[in-house]
Parts: sequence; C-alpha cells; structure tokens
Amino acid sequence: MKLELGNFYVKDIEFGAKTAFNDGILTINKEEALEVVFKDKHITEADLRIVKPGDMVRLVPVKEAIEPRFRVGGGPVFPGVTGKLEQAGDGKTRCLKDMSVLVVGKHWGGFQDGLIDMGGEGAKYTHFSSLKNVVLVADTDEEFEQREQQKKNHALRWAGMRLAEYLGEAVKDLEPEDKDTYELDPLTKRDDKESELPNVALVMQPQSQMEEKGYNDLNYGWDTNSMLPTLMHPNEILDGAMISGSFMPCSSKWSTYDFQNFPLITRLYEEHGKTINFVGVIMSNLNVALEQKERSAQFVAQMAKSLGVDAAVVTEEGYGNPDADYIGCLVALEDAGVKTVGVSNEATGRDGGSQPLVTLDPKADALVSTGNVSELIKLAPMDEVIGELEALARDGLSGGWEDDEVLGSSVKEDGSIVMENNAMFCGDQIAGWSPKTMKEF
Amino acid sequence: MKKAVVYLNQFFGQIGGEDVADHAPEIREEKVGAAMLYNQLLDAEVTHTVICGDNFMGSRTEEAVETILGFLKDVDFDIFFAGPAFQAGRYGMACGEIGKAVKEEFDVPVISSMNIENPGVEVFKKDIYIFPGGHSAAKMRDDVKKVTDFGNKILNGEKLLPAEKEGYYQRGIRHQYFLEDETPAYERAIDMLLKKINGEEFESELPIPELDLVEIAPAIEDLSETTIALVTSGGIVPVENPDKIQSASATRWGKYDISGMDKLENRDSDKFKTIHAGYDPAAADADPNVVVPVDAMRKYEEEGRIGKLHDYFYSTVGTGTTQKEAARMGKEIAQELQDANVQAVILTST
Repeated sequence: MKLELGNFYVKDIEFGAKTAFNDGILTINKEEALEVVFKDKHITEADLRIVKPGDMVRLVPVKEAIEPRFRVGGGPVFPGVTGKLEQAGDGKTRCLKDMSVLVVGKHWGGFQDGLIDMGGEGAKYTHFSSLKNVVLVADTDEEFEQREQQKKNHALRWAGMRLAEYLGEAVKDLEPEDKDTYELDPLTKRDDKESELPNVALVMQPQSQMEEKGYNDLNYGWDTNSMLPTLMHPNEILDGAMISGSFMPCSSKWSTYDFQNFPLITRLYEEHGKTINFVGVIMSNLNVALEQKERSAQFVAQMAKSLGVDAAVVTEEGYGNPDADYIGCLVALEDAGVKTVGVSNEATGRDGGSQPLVTLDPKADALVSTGNVSELIKLAPMDEVIGELEALARDGLSGGWEDDEVLGSSVKEDGSIVMENNAMFCGDQIAGWSPKTMKEF
Repeated sequence: MKKAVVYLNQFFGQIGGEDVADHAPEIREEKVGAAMLYNQLLDAEVTHTVICGDNFMGSRTEEAVETILGFLKDVDFDIFFAGPAFQAGRYGMACGEIGKAVKEEFDVPVISSMNIENPGVEVFKKDIYIFPGGHSAAKMRDDVKKVTDFGNKILNGEKLLPAEKEGYYQRGIRHQYFLEDETPAYERAIDMLLKKINGEEFESELPIPELDLVEIAPAIEDLSETTIALVTSGGIVPVENPDKIQSASATRWGKYDISGMDKLENRDSDKFKTIHAGYDPAAADADPNVVVPVDAMRKYEEEGRIGKLHDYFYSTVGTGTTQKEAARMGKEIAQELQDANVQAVILTST
C-alpha cells in the first residue's frame, strides 16, 4: 500500500467571501461552513472562531480535534464514518497542516472533555496551542446527556468531521507544497536489506472500554469494543481509518488529529529500511474484564510471533484500569521473546506519592512516561473564554470539581482556574508529542 | 529575613557524649554548635536550636516528638534542618522522626543529611529531603553546605529540579517534568527501542518500584458464625450522595445503613445509584445489587450459610483514586469494621 499525503501549510486563517486556500492563507466563508455544521438537525446553535498560538483565549469544554483533509477522488476522509466504507491508506490525501478543527461545547462538558489555553502559562500543556485552529463552538438538543457525566458528543463530533471535510475541499484542485509518501512492501515480499533488519511493530491500544455503543474509538466505523486485535497497515491509521471516541479522562486521550498524525508511526517509517523493518501496526484494544484483557494480550503476542516481530512499541490510550491491559500486553510480548518499549502516562497523585500504574511488572523494563494525570495546575484568567468556563467545575470534567475542602471550586470568580492535568485536552500527548516525562522529586 | 530552626543530638548540641544520650528535649533561642555553621551558610537566620538525646528520642519517641512540637508551636520559622547524622543510626532515626513530625505539623520544608548506610535514610526518605552525607563529623562542613544550598533554593523560591539533579535520595515521589531539550516522547521511545534491540544500555523513565503486596489472610473455616461486611469501590450511594463522594479521584467514603433491607432498591425508586464515572452506570443504576450484592447475602443469611450481613455497607469510588488515598480510606474503613467486630469483608470493585 502506498499513501501520498500532500501538504498545504496553513500560515493564517481568516473569514472571507469564499472558502479557499491561497498562498498559505485559508479563507473561510463562515455562512457556508455553518450550513455544513447545521446539516445535522440536532445542532441547535453554532459559531466558528479562529484562534492562533499566543492568543489569550481559553477553550473549554473541548471535545475533539481533527485535521482538515481532502481524499483525492472524493471519498470520505473517514471511511465508514463520514461516508461509505472504503480502503484508507492506499492513495492520495491532501492535508491542511499546522491547523486543526477544534470542537467545543457552547455549554455542556463531561468527563471526557478538556481544556486548551492558546497563550500564557497553560499553552505548554497541549499540542493544540501550537496550531492555528478553527473552533466550532456549538450546542445540541441531545438533552438526554446534558446532565450526564459521560457524553457521546455525537452531534458535535460528527459536525467537526463534516467541517474538516468541508475545509479540506479548499485544496481539492491544488498542487501540494510537498508530499510525504508512506509505502511498505507486502511483508512476504520485502527486499533482503529490509528483511535482515530487526522486525518492529507498533501495538496500539485505543480506548474501547464502554460496553454501550457511541463512546469508543471507531475503526472504519466499527466499535473497537467489538474487536479483537488485528493487523493494520500504518497508512490506514494515518489516513482516517481510526477516529477518536468520547470516553476516558481527557489528558490520556488520542484525538482524531492524533490518529491522523501519529508521530510514533511516522518516526518508525523514518527508521524503516535503515535501522528496522517496520512490520506494521497491531491494533489491539482496552477492556474491562480480566479475561478480555488476557485474550487481547494473547492475540497480540500470537500475531507478533507469527509475524516474526523482534521488537515492539506498545502504547495505551488511557490510565487506571487499562494499565492492566498495557502491562499485560508488554509482559505477554516479552514472554514471547519480543523486546518492548511502552509509552503511557502515569497517575502518581497530586503529591506524586502513589503507584505510577495500576499494575506493574519487572518485565516492563523500558517505559516512556508522558505525564502525571493528577498533577495540579493553576492558571491565571484569560482575556476570553470560548465555550463555558463553568463547565470545568460543574460538568464533571475529569480534572475539574465543584468543591474541594482545600482548593474550593476549579473555577474562581476572577476566571482563574485550578485543575488536574487530567482535563488538559489530549494533554499527555501519548501519541508521542509529549515533551514531558516523569521525574523523582 | 526568613527564619530557620536546627535540630541536633546531645553530642552536636554540646551537652555531652553517650553518657547523656537520654537528655530530655530542650529548645534554646540561640545558635548552638553546628547551628552556627547553618547560620553562616543560610539565606535565613537560625533563631532556635532544638537539642535532644538520641536515646530519649529512640525510647520515648512519642513524648519527645510531642514536647518538641510543643516548643515549636509559638516559634515562627520557614524551614527546619535536622542533623547531619552521618552514619550514626540512632541520630539518623531521630532526625527522621522529628523531621517527619515537623513537616506534618507545620508544613515547612525539612532537610537532613545522612550517610547511605544510616537506617534513617530508608525509613524517612519519603517524608523529608535527605541528602547523602559522609561517614563522620569530618564531613560536617560539606554535608551542611549541601543541605543549606538546597534550603537556600527553597527559601529564595527558585525552581527545584528533579532529585537526580538536586542530589537528595530519591523518595518515590514522581511528578511530571518538562524536559529542557523538549525531546518528544516518540523520539525517546524509538531511541530506547533501538538501544534495547542493539543490546545497548537504556534507561527506563519508569523504573518499576518494589510492589506493596498484602498477604492473603487465612481462610475462614466456618462462615455460619461470621459477620460479613460489603465494601465497594464501585460508587454505590444513596441517590442524594449525602457524603459528596467524588465521581473520580475520590478522597471520601460513605457508610450506609442496610439493616432490614432485603436488597438495595434502585435509582428509579429513588434509593441507590452509582456515582462512579469510570464505568457505564446503566446496569448498576438499574440494580445496585450487581455491585453491592445485598440480595445474595440476605439469601445466604436466610440459608444459614453466613452468620450475619453487617448492618452497613461502605462505599467509595475507585477511578483515578490514588493508591495513597485508597490506602488511607481502606485503613479508616478497616478500623470501623474491626470496632464493629466484623470478621470478613467482601470487597467489590468495578
């Protein structure tokens, strides 16, 4: 399979008469873009905003981030989700780089939603403060979940994907500034040079722990809870096969933007043919019951053995209960003779004194840590809030609270906040961007 | 100017040697012995010296600690130093005991220095900052310099670096840290993998700590005489959540009367529901007994298979809850159960 991602580097975004991309400037016809958003009758209110790195703007509750793209030939950017099911990862896709579409609730947030500061001290906590963003801030008539802590955020997430596809059409007929080509020969038909290098796989554990449909990450539209580990071509992940779900404390999540740009994959591609032979991605999942966890780990280890994998990187979208899947998978691989490295965050508590992962095993001897979910973060008021600041305290965001004996509410009258890292939007950047590690203090 | 208090034993507090090791605690509003060196090196004034015999602290610990905390109640101080204790075991333990108590009572930074062989290191490194020190008093100046350099950083509000950079013994306290060179995780991961593949040395960012395993208790032979309690981390509470237990990262637990109940009535009947945010609540809200099985326990009670179901069940929320908070809540609940003469517990998690 050969994927050609054509890059259009967005230097600025503005509203104007016609949606178009010219000389690095993305112009958006707001009215037309909102029509796309309102195609779903469940969207009751919507507005678009533009935010850039350094803007003193706070976004909350943030639900999703998506890179706008256009699939050459006109197929859906997210096959099986925004259009018919077709093969991703084999063809040409055009990408608006250095930007994302951010989806923000106008009022209601939930356990899975997060916060982004575009400027000031808080900007360092998320990847998305380094991008130019088109912000869809909207409300829906999904009253059944307005007061629920767990939200599917269906109307808003799908509106975000439609908007990303709409913006992607701006580069439909244009020649990209440059191209990234991702190609792997079939496993059994690789040349001697590649075949002699150590065989390396990436094992991904996307969030799939909700039994009810509508919350989990989707694989070509298929609920990952109903999935056994399977072999995927890395191009599929980079090209819209996986979309983010709406479950898990926010700093531990992979947004759809993260899947589209997964830096662990692109780095393995860089090494392919030089230091390693990149076998592909074993797409596993995260489970609730022990037997499910063990079954998935067994499948992953079996596939690694059958494929002759020598070494693997394992990464989990989550913390707490799924640490058992994460460590279980690392141990199963090590037991199968596969050398592993794990990438995840830790939960050592506000005081840093708690056990970092729910389960530990000495066989997991090479771990990369991307942050502490319960690190306490205090941030000054911002000039502007997009969304509703009160959601952080009121709606049960994983890093916010209404009252605390010592700290009071997460949201102060002057607009300053105190929160756990848990609610930073994809803040632990487990996809691989995290500049954070964990140290002894 | 900021103020410091220094704790010394009978020897370094210039009372005398082993013969006066049971010297009772005293506080002096002056700089005694090593306290003068601290005063020279600190960006703070040492206002008081606390002196206590090592044997007194070792054998009458509670009394010594209480007395010293009493001395300090009316003293205004910003930082507390104990030692250096070098390789002296009793002195090291004393520095740890008083340091930990002062930290807990007054919430000021507490810094000590001990040789790696000193038993005080292992016992107290989690509670206070302890710097590696020399074997004997010949290293007094070096050791005091280390702790006062670090103390000055704290006093001056400077950014504190990880333990490996500052030099104190690692304490098992882990915080997130932005790397100076901003090397992203994906680079670190693949570089680590390549090293592991090539048999080169690599350093895990999470060295696996020793596990804190609780031994399994011996089985109860005869359940028919046993009072059994139900305890859950599944977040089942009366619908109004009277104890305001948090839905994640809980620090609170609740105790709810179930005497006379055949089962737990559900959310629709306005009785019990789950507030746990880490699992799908549908099943537990529809029938809370799936998490806290009062219904099944009553059957066993009827059949005489168990003696009695305890009149209260205990509940908290497990998701995101730190091990430390969980251990504290567990101890508190266990104490109540013991006081109520409960002999066994069924702990349900979700």
